[in-house]
Formats: sequence, C-alpha cells, structure tokens
Amino acid sequence: MTGDQARGVEADLREVLAEVTGRPDLRGVPAETSLFGGGVGLDSLAGTLLLRQVQRRFGVDVAAEDLNLDSLESLSTLAAFIKERLSSDVR
Amino acid sequence: MTSDAPPGQIIKCVVWDIDNTLLNGVYLESAGEPPPVDPELAGVLHELAGRGILQALASRNPPEAAAYVRSVTGADFAAAECGWGSKAEAIARIAADLDVPADAIAFVDDDMVERAEVAAELPDVLVLTPEDAAEAADWPQFSPAVVTAEARRRGQLYGERRRRQEAAQAFGGSRDEFLRQVGTRIIIGPARTGDLPRLHELSVRTHQLNSSGQPVTEGELAQLIGSAQHQVATLRLADDFGDDGLVGAAILAQNGTGIATAQLLMMSCRALGRGALDALLAWLCRVAARAGAAQLAVPCVVTDRNVPMRLALAAAGLRAEPGSVAADGRAVFTRSLAGGLPHLPDWVSVEASQ
Repeated sequence: MTGDQARGVEADLREVLAEVTGRPDLRGVPAETSLFGGGVGLDSLAGTLLLRQVQRRFGVDVAAEDLNLDSLESLSTLAAFIKERLSSDVR
Repeated sequence: MTSDAPPGQIIKCVVWDIDNTLLNGVYLESAGEPPPVDPELAGVLHELAGRGILQALASRNPPEAAAYVRSVTGADFAAAECGWGSKAEAIARIAADLDVPADAIAFVDDDMVERAEVAAELPDVLVLTPEDAAEAADWPQFSPAVVTAEARRRGQLYGERRRRQEAAQAFGGSRDEFLRQVGTRIIIGPARTGDLPRLHELSVRTHQLNSSGQPVTEGELAQLIGSAQHQVATLRLADDFGDDGLVGAAILAQNGTGIATAQLLMMSCRALGRGALDALLAWLCRVAARAGAAQLAVPCVVTDRNVPMRLALAAAGLRAEPGSVAADGRAVFTRSLAGGLPHLPDWVSVEASQ
C-alpha cells in the first residue's frame, strides 16, 4: 500500500463518519479524537452504519475480527486496522 | 402459497406493492387523479396493523407514490422503499431497517415476475398474490397469540420513528444535543406483573440489542421479579415525537461475589440511536456499585446481528478477554466499577422499587 492509499483510508473514513452521524463538521475531526467519548459520541446506531460502510468500501468486517471493537477507539486506530487487513490481503 | 409457510411462523411485517395491488391501477399511468385504493386490501392492511404487524411499501415508483398511498389508506407505514431497484433488495433493506428476519416477512405483489424474483432471492419470505392477501387475516401466520398495547401501536410508533430520523438528519449537532432538543425522557424502574407479556415479547423480538438471544417465558420472568437475588428493571422511552412505552429491560443478578451480572439486556430497535441502552448500562453500573460489587459483567452471545449491542458495551467501557469466545458465541464482557462510571444524562429518571 502506498502512502497515498493510506491517507485515502482516513479521508474516506471522515467522509463516512460525517455521513452516518449526519454531522458535516466531523469531516474535520482530529484523527486521535475518541469516537465513543464526548467528541464524537458514536452510538450503536451510527457505529453499526459506520461498520457497514467500512465493510462495503474496504471489504473489512471489523465486527467479525475485533471482539471488543477497540479499533473504533479513534479514526486513526480504525484506519490502521483497515490498512493492516488490506496490506495482508495483498501479500 | 399458504402451503409454503411452515405452520406457526408468525409474520411481523407485510411489504406491499403499490401498482395494481394497494391501488386499483398504476400510479404513474393515471392522467390527473391517481387511481383509488383497493378497499378490500386496505381493510386487510388495517386489520393486520391492529394486530401489531408492521406494514411497509416496496414499489417501482417515485417517493410521492408512497406519500399518496399513505394519505388514501390513512396507514402509518413503518418503511417505504420507492425506486427502480430490485424488490428483493428493497425487502432486504426493510428487513434490516426494521430488524425483522426474512422468514417473518410477507410480500404482496400482483406481478408474477416480481413475486418470482423475490421468491428466488429471498426464499424465506412468504410471497403472496393480492388474492392470497385478501384472505390472509384468517391465516394462523397472521394471528399472533398475544397482542400487547405496544404491538397494537407498532405501526404508528414506526411512523413517529421515521419523522424523528428525518429531524435527526436535518439537525446537525451532536446526538446528545439532539436528544435534549427533542425532549427525550427515559424512565428506569422495577418490572411489575403487568409488564410480563411485553417483557416476554421483547425477549423474543429483539435481536440487534439483545445480549443472550434466548427467549424468556412469562413464568421465568415472574420468578425473577420475585427473587431476592435478582432485579428486573424496565426502561420506558418517550420524546416530543411520541411515547414508545416499555422498550427495554435488564435482568441483574447480585450473588455477593463482588461481580454483578446482567444476565439479559434487551432493547427494541426503535430505541436505537436514542441513548436508551447507554442509559441502562450507566444505571446498571451505579446500582451494582451501590450494592458493593467491584465489577459489572455482561455475558453476551456474539452474533452478526447484535453488533449494536457490542457497540453499546464497548461505549460503556466493557471488554471481553480476546479469544474467550465460547463455541456457542458467548463471551463475558466486564468492567470495573471503581472510579468514573459512564455518564447518566439528566433526562433519565429512576423509579425506586416499591
């Protein structure tokens, strides 16, 4: 995976996050902001929609692979989780 | 077609075609006034809605057609899929949106090709002609044994849900700001005998927000309510759009070992995105801590349908030992009750027991 693709995952996730929460302002959220905490307040509904979009766009089934959903800690951890799965698929 | 349905499988949602089915004619081909409603099928629709069976639309038409059918039938449809995509996909979206499994859905369409496509793509769906549907009210699949007050109002509640979702999409602020804005009210209190049918119904019907996936009988629930080691708590939810009534519950066992176990958490999918399960978890942490427990444990059977339950557990700070998932999918999610507990918003009120 090239650096451009890696940056692309995070940019895509911002887009999806803004979409599933109905909050355009989240496009600018810092990559380290906690998704569950006060900053974004991701709940069951928005979280499920986010995971569904991640599966559709990247083919990564986060719910099946991450029991505790710790990858949803922040945009940066979610992007890292997806990138790791994508690069191991290539190999 | 009746012979295809296993006896006893109760239909929870009927998906209706519009052209030449609910309407006596084709919506887009009518010059001037759209065609009138088919009075016989409209009667069936209202009869089934009164039994708590959801009504939905799937039509190759613009969205205005759904609005027209809404106004001429006076029915509050739980979901409407209008567009030019496949009916099977439309039904699959309705099933996901309403959290109804395919084998609890009936589909009514006059068009043989549409019926064949749905039957092939979604073999569990009960596929009916309008003639079949006219008699459906007499069939056992359309006659749930117990119709609770919540069930009777279900169609209306989904209508309120649709309007709430539209408002949420237009709102733009955070979820908590939205919940406050729309006057969200949550009441957590002890279960009473009168709640038993609804609690049993929730244990059967909830999937996305259900930790055990096991139905609980009214008898078992009555025993738990009477047990000194158990607490059965109910959660009621309302806002300015409407009153959803009893939407969720928890069964908490305290056995003096320092671990309080929520044996069952369940919540109607109508409460999704409205902070109800988060409130219940925050309350459980407080109750368990007050009773002296050091840990809250939630055994959860992990399925591909209850991802929303796992999201709520994660958001409330509960974690399971990775690799600890049993063969039946069960994992125990826990959190310490020392230090800061999850936030309990001020629109949540708690009724004391007795």
